[in-house]
Amino acid sequence: MNRSRSLLRYSITRLLLAPVMLWLISTLVFLLLRVAPGDPVDAILGIRADYAAREALRIKLGLDASLVNQYLKYLNCLIHGDLGESLNNQEPVRELIAHTLPASIELGVVAIIFAITIGLAVGFTGIARPEGKTDLLGRLFGIGTYALPPFWAAMLIQMFFAVMLGWLPVGGRFPPNLIEPEGSGFLIIDSIKDGNLQALIGSIRHIILPASTLGILLSGIFSRSLRLNLSKILNKNYIQAARSRGIKENEIIFKHALPNALLPVLTIAGLTIASLIGGALLIEITFSWPGIALGLQEAISQRDYPIVQGIVVIISSLVVIISLLVDLAIAFIDPRISY
Amino acid sequence: MNLVGYLLKLVFKFSAVILLLSQFSCATKSNFKGIIVASKGKIESLDPAQATKLLALQLISSLGDTLYRIDSQGLLVPMLAKDEPEISKDGLSISIPLRDNIFFHDGTKFNAEAMAFSIRRFKRIGNLTYITKSISSVDAKEEFLLRINLSKPSSSIKGLLTSINLTPISPNSYSKYKDKFLINNFIGTGPYKLKTYSAERQTIEPFENYWGGEVKNSGITFVNFTNSTSLFSAIKTGQVDVLLSNSVEDVHSFALKNLSQRNLLVQGEGPPMEIGYIAFRTNSDILKNKNIRKALLFSLDRDLISKQVSYGLREPLKSITPPFLGINNNSPWPDYNVEAAFKLFKEAGLCNNKKLTLPLTFRSNVPSDKLLALKWQQQVNRDLSNCLEISLNGVESTTIYKQLSEGVFEAVILDWTGDYPDPYAYLAPLLDCIKIKGEVCVDGEAVTGGTFWANEALQESLLRSELLIEEERLQELRKVEKLAAEGAALLPIWHLKPRVWTRNNLSKPEFDGSGRLLLKKIIKGNE
Repeated sequence: MNRSRSLLRYSITRLLLAPVMLWLISTLVFLLLRVAPGDPVDAILGIRADYAAREALRIKLGLDASLVNQYLKYLNCLIHGDLGESLNNQEPVRELIAHTLPASIELGVVAIIFAITIGLAVGFTGIARPEGKTDLLGRLFGIGTYALPPFWAAMLIQMFFAVMLGWLPVGGRFPPNLIEPEGSGFLIIDSIKDGNLQALIGSIRHIILPASTLGILLSGIFSRSLRLNLSKILNKNYIQAARSRGIKENEIIFKHALPNALLPVLTIAGLTIASLIGGALLIEITFSWPGIALGLQEAISQRDYPIVQGIVVIISSLVVIISLLVDLAIAFIDPRISY
Repeated sequence: MNLVGYLLKLVFKFSAVILLLSQFSCATKSNFKGIIVASKGKIESLDPAQATKLLALQLISSLGDTLYRIDSQGLLVPMLAKDEPEISKDGLSISIPLRDNIFFHDGTKFNAEAMAFSIRRFKRIGNLTYITKSISSVDAKEEFLLRINLSKPSSSIKGLLTSINLTPISPNSYSKYKDKFLINNFIGTGPYKLKTYSAERQTIEPFENYWGGEVKNSGITFVNFTNSTSLFSAIKTGQVDVLLSNSVEDVHSFALKNLSQRNLLVQGEGPPMEIGYIAFRTNSDILKNKNIRKALLFSLDRDLISKQVSYGLREPLKSITPPFLGINNNSPWPDYNVEAAFKLFKEAGLCNNKKLTLPLTFRSNVPSDKLLALKWQQQVNRDLSNCLEISLNGVESTTIYKQLSEGVFEAVILDWTGDYPDPYAYLAPLLDCIKIKGEVCVDGEAVTGGTFWANEALQESLLRSELLIEEERLQELRKVEKLAAEGAALLPIWHLKPRVWTRNNLSKPEFDGSGRLLLKKIIKGNE
């Protein structure tokens, strides 16, 4: 079987497995939410609402039906692309996700740009002079970013740049004194599309601190990964052979070593983007960034079942899709990989 | 040395880049003249039939008017009503004359039919239908005369008429929302009208046809921050103009108070509507002995805890109604008294090599609860280590609310804010019981609140108080509180004022008697 056919077979298998995986995840979330203590009716009405009001709301929200019926209804809706309505305010979950997901993606993408730029720069300058001053600092930086608790780092950065120096806003996504541009929900893109310079600068100012914090914290993975891979590759026979032929060191690194060393970095980048979409919770809380992770946390605390289920299904789908795309990209770039 | 120099150079370069960016971004300052108000928490619905959270109620109070409001002296002031309500002799009917020449934000006229529409809609779909439980029907007797019929006489109805949840809405704009909620818009008669809405951010602007006097600013934008540190930093750095104290942690409130004392900010305070207390499950093996419960009442040093937990911001409280409501001159709950506690524990057979272990549950997501629990535990270790040991248990608030009525918690720290400023809005929700067996409540608010405690005499007094007015009513409510203190099912700890901080270029913020910030009075000038 030739390589492209086996790659196609692998892709189809992965795509066919994706709905099964999503069904398993959504079922698990459905059950876990019901098992967890806490009642959405209490979260909405508080504890002092009388019995009749509580029961009326329970019926209105469909929480009086048996668990099996609730599950079947949920699955039926999910299959038809209906994520349901928030128990708290009856807002469609789809709208809520459409409102918060762009914020998380925007933050995730800018953070990854920061992380890759810083990570690759640190990793690359380190390997340029191995065991030198820069390399030592780069390694310290890499280990340091692993060890830093995200909320602590975020608070320090917020305190220093926003409170003490006052250079950037403390939190939020957009200046309160301006009107948000409408469109895709990606404020930077929408501002550019509208030709609104004030909105663009406002959006960039608000994203710098959360994205750079997240980027710095993640850059260690990239710098360490690049440095390790590059140092391994630079000792390979084909690099030695290139050196013995008198090829310049820069050419060896950029043309022969770096492309191979970047392959694992690509895998890490893909997985990091996927996890960032749903997982930048501490950064979103610290910088009051209205993303999907914050929405998920609030929905969990209010036991808003449809929102939690909807967000988990969407995030899982994105993780599945992105990891598949990364696998395909790597298989496409690296001819040594077979499936 | 070289390494340090190199490091400094790197930091310098990075700082230079950030500085450059920030200088470039100074261009974002716009000529916006409105006020930016920050608080914690999203506003998920602007429907008065659905809103329960303080922030949503604050916003609705700016977009709409109620029939009456309570002023800072605690007096009932007509708003959309023209005069005091007229109550029939049997107490079952209330006539309210309404002002004319008032318009909704959609241009339609406010009248008795609109008011009746709003109350009926609330009764039909409102989440907190217990608020209007005593109202049997509402009619528009004349264009500007509203008639409310009650199922039983209720002297607390006046307070109820100040409830934000009963803010009138335009029947015209809500014609498609008679039986469902309108979460992202509000068409009322208030000083402001809604300009933009999202859960995280809302902008309101002055309503040009407002009947009740001039709005002194050019609009307000409400923004949401997710944690207390960010809120504190935002007002300190001037990113926002006004900060509401809901969910601001005590440590930050104290720092803000200090800043206002140094004239770096301006602080405003409202009436203390929120009370904090501990509920004891009186049907539990440990706490069914009243002497033990009474000993616990004596064992807590409120003054010390108030100082150490909240820097004195939460004032010690020895009643279950806030003092400003004026029903108690003498606090019915006892003072801290170690000797009295020791004596009662001893009478209950404790202290002689026998120690009571009390599981105290606190809401893990409420920082002041945790500190209170820790402090009381320490204080008991110091004062009564032979008789009592407190074991702590932190549980997320949603879980506590669910399990409270199931009798899971022996002792739990809770708080309560009355729906309107009236003693009945505190006593009934904390003590009311529909079905009593001995001294155990099997159905009613006492079950929902986790105490399971009931007393026939107290229930009778509570019911009677609804038939009485003025001083006679207050006497009856005093009796209720006294009986509640003797029952020792609740241990009041403190009460908390709503606070607001503004930048120096704003006028001093004021609250009304219901604890709502009067936004229309805030003037923005030059710092």
